Amino acid sequence: MSDWVTIIIRSILMYCIVVFLLRVVGRKQTSQMTFSDFVVGITIGAIAALISLNIIHNLAYGLIGLAVWLLLPVLTNYLALKSKAFHDLLYGRQTVLIQHGKVMEDNVKEMKMTAEELLAQLRRKNVFNIADVEFALMESSGDVSVLLKPEKTPITPKQMEWQVAQTANPQTVILDGNIIDESLRNQGLTRNWLSTELEKAGVTVENVFIGQVDASGDLYLDLFDDAIQLPKPTTKALLYATLKKCEADLESYALATNDQVARKNYQEAADLLLTTLAELRPILKR
Amino acid sequence: MTVASQVKQTLASLKGAQATLELYAKQTVIEQEQMAFAGSVEKISGIIHMLEQRISAMEFEEPQYKGF
Repeated sequence: MSDWVTIIIRSILMYCIVVFLLRVVGRKQTSQMTFSDFVVGITIGAIAALISLNIIHNLAYGLIGLAVWLLLPVLTNYLALKSKAFHDLLYGRQTVLIQHGKVMEDNVKEMKMTAEELLAQLRRKNVFNIADVEFALMESSGDVSVLLKPEKTPITPKQMEWQVAQTANPQTVILDGNIIDESLRNQGLTRNWLSTELEKAGVTVENVFIGQVDASGDLYLDLFDDAIQLPKPTTKALLYATLKKCEADLESYALATNDQVARKNYQEAADLLLTTLAELRPILKR
Repeated sequence: MTVASQVKQTLASLKGAQATLELYAKQTVIEQEQMAFAGSVEKISGIIHMLEQRISAMEFEEPQYKGF
């Protein structure tokens, strides 16, 4: 057998082994790779290359080396999963860089970081002012995680004591002019409903690029023909406005009438409507 | 426009709003929202009932405006 045939056969064999075994072994994404993963990956590649180019003549020896390099990481990963101490030994620990707003200089030095690099890492996290940082960590992967001081963190609805409506993920019911029955069913809707909604908007299915239904059943459409202006779903805003107007009407009737009982009734109804509006506000004004 | 006809108009728009709310209560998949919509439908039906009684009282008092 001539050399080039050997090389082709070995290369195909190596390709299959490396690609399929690495699948089984379960490599992490490149971005999550630690330095040891990186070294292991390069070594496996190098051995595979040497075998496939027939530089290692004895196929068995090559495969043994490859097997060891493939299996050892599996073993160490397994041990790392089981033992915290081993995990720390293998992957390193996270290091506190800033605590209580003060830079831990010793730890920064230990991480072989200059002050300039620390600032650069913080800037990458959109922190330009070191005074804003309460706590910063260097993860074992080398990323810096930053916790801002409470007064510098973005406001959440909870802090503002705002009522917010629960949301469910919207269902995509039309893609590229095709109706997706599964998502329609997930939402408990039918093709009938969809055709009614499309008719209301005055478009055909073929003209819809993307159609999404939100949790409350409003349909958003994106058309192929961008020249067509679609009415935005304003039913909720209209509903809110209508209820508000009714509430104001009831209050004015309460003021206008001379009948004491009717006045009391009007006032009670207005108050009831007001509480209803407060309940519906987070849902309707989303 | 008489007061009675104004009240009737309010009644009509409340009925419309109630129907829309009922529709949303049926459509939504979030249980919390469903409860909020259903609860408001119930409250508004109480208000509608009150308004209807008030209208019939007004029509009884001033039969000349009946139907307007």
